[in-house]
Amino acid sequence: MRAPLPGWRAIAPWIVPLAILLAWEASSRTGWLSVRILPEPLAVATAFWHLLTSGTLVNDVAISTGRALGGLAIGGGLGLVLGLLTGTFRSAETLLDTTLQMIRNVPALALIPLVILWFGIDETAKLFLVAIGVFFPIYLNTYHGIRAVDAGLIEMARSYGLQGWALYREVILPGALPSILVGLRFSLGLMWVLLIVAETISAQSGIGYMTMNAREFLQTDVVLVGVLLYALLGKLADLVARGLERRFLRWNPAYLGTPA
Amino acid sequence: MQRDWIAPPAAGLALRLAGLRKQFGARTVLDGIAIDVDPGQFVAIVGRSGCGKSTLLRLLAGLDVPTAGELQLGGAPAAARRDDVRMMFQEARLLPWRTVLQNVQLGLADGHASARARDALAQVGLADRANDWPSVLSGGQRQRVALARALVHRPRLLLLDEPLGALDALTRIEMQRLIESVWRELRFTAVLVTHDVAEAVALADRVLLVEDGRITLDEPVALARPRAHGSAGFAQLEGRVLGRVLGETSRASGKAPSRMAA
Repeated sequence: MRAPLPGWRAIAPWIVPLAILLAWEASSRTGWLSVRILPEPLAVATAFWHLLTSGTLVNDVAISTGRALGGLAIGGGLGLVLGLLTGTFRSAETLLDTTLQMIRNVPALALIPLVILWFGIDETAKLFLVAIGVFFPIYLNTYHGIRAVDAGLIEMARSYGLQGWALYREVILPGALPSILVGLRFSLGLMWVLLIVAETISAQSGIGYMTMNAREFLQTDVVLVGVLLYALLGKLADLVARGLERRFLRWNPAYLGTPA
Repeated sequence: MQRDWIAPPAAGLALRLAGLRKQFGARTVLDGIAIDVDPGQFVAIVGRSGCGKSTLLRLLAGLDVPTAGELQLGGAPAAARRDDVRMMFQEARLLPWRTVLQNVQLGLADGHASARARDALAQVGLADRANDWPSVLSGGQRQRVALARALVHRPRLLLLDEPLGALDALTRIEMQRLIESVWRELRFTAVLVTHDVAEAVALADRVLLVEDGRITLDEPVALARPRAHGSAGFAQLEGRVLGRVLGETSRASGKAPSRMAA
């Protein structure tokens, strides 16, 4: 086999998506693919542009992002605090861990009927669902992260006079951080999934509302804009998580950069 | 520049251990340990693995508490001397999320922490690696950072728990020379636990053999420093201690019965 051209590696991964896009556009134009099933890519782009210029898109994205981050702050914050607690104190683990492990086995989405009964279909229900979903990845990874901190390092630090909060800040927290960030990354993925479900069930605003509304009026192009937006936001959340890992785990051989 | 962070060298601590015993549950690891060490003396403790030599060091470091007996450092109980005692472990135990310099600064509170840490790094020949992460250092370099981290506290007793065990032969000799030179300069009391008899004879003023939780040999090393590994006196002493460790020569009468429960 001959060696591939230098530019080949950069272009090759995009050939298949581009071909699919072209085939899609062509089959829409020839009428072979009904607009009811899939609108042509150009129509999706136009719909995106219209939604963007009219301001509704920015509004809906802002509302959805607010809900997602609010749920993350509540669920993730609780998960972090409880994980630190059960990881650090044996008594807290004895008291809480069994309960939390049992609740963990209940799928968050199975709670939807109850959530609707409890909170109706307003904002609280959405926040609750997202919070419940993101809680466990962060809780579990924080707990295991604290427990997995090298006992030799803790012993060393103690013999060098560190104790209490100083020991926690200098050794235990940094030691648990890689694991905590893994939990955050899982949570960021789950966060959007749960929000999509919550918004699809019932909403008066947000991306989910936009797509469900568009479905009623058979605006498949707008539905697709919503789907693509979710994909984009999910990707964005992942990039943020990676960025955090790169920033906070600089010392790790896997991310090795230059010290600040 | 006035380097006022450099404290005057503190004298080494005298050690006094009497009737020291350590049990873990029903298992007696150390029993009837009695040693007196003069300030500034370099003591090596040798013995087979599992003989209790590392436990003895951990008692000196305050990481474990003796079951019975007396343990005095510089005329005070060990707990009161914790700030004067520093330990080097088998592994360097550097915090991977701190740079080399930040690792050496660990536990230093005063305003000159950075300057003192740089001095200590220079002392072990790693001044140029101050801003590196520990993960990019070699095993020998990591142990040198660990040595700097111990020295920066101006310890009056330095405990060494087989810190060179994992290093290659050349790096080992380099590290032995480094440890000897800083010891001669700073005059702290040093206790080295090792399974390497040659290392013990090369570094120590006195070699103690621990067998079955007791001290069964207390051999002074009168060789002039720096010591040459190949010299006749060195080889003879090394051979004698090694023979005792391996149980080849007859033991002193009535000594060293097996005290360890199965």
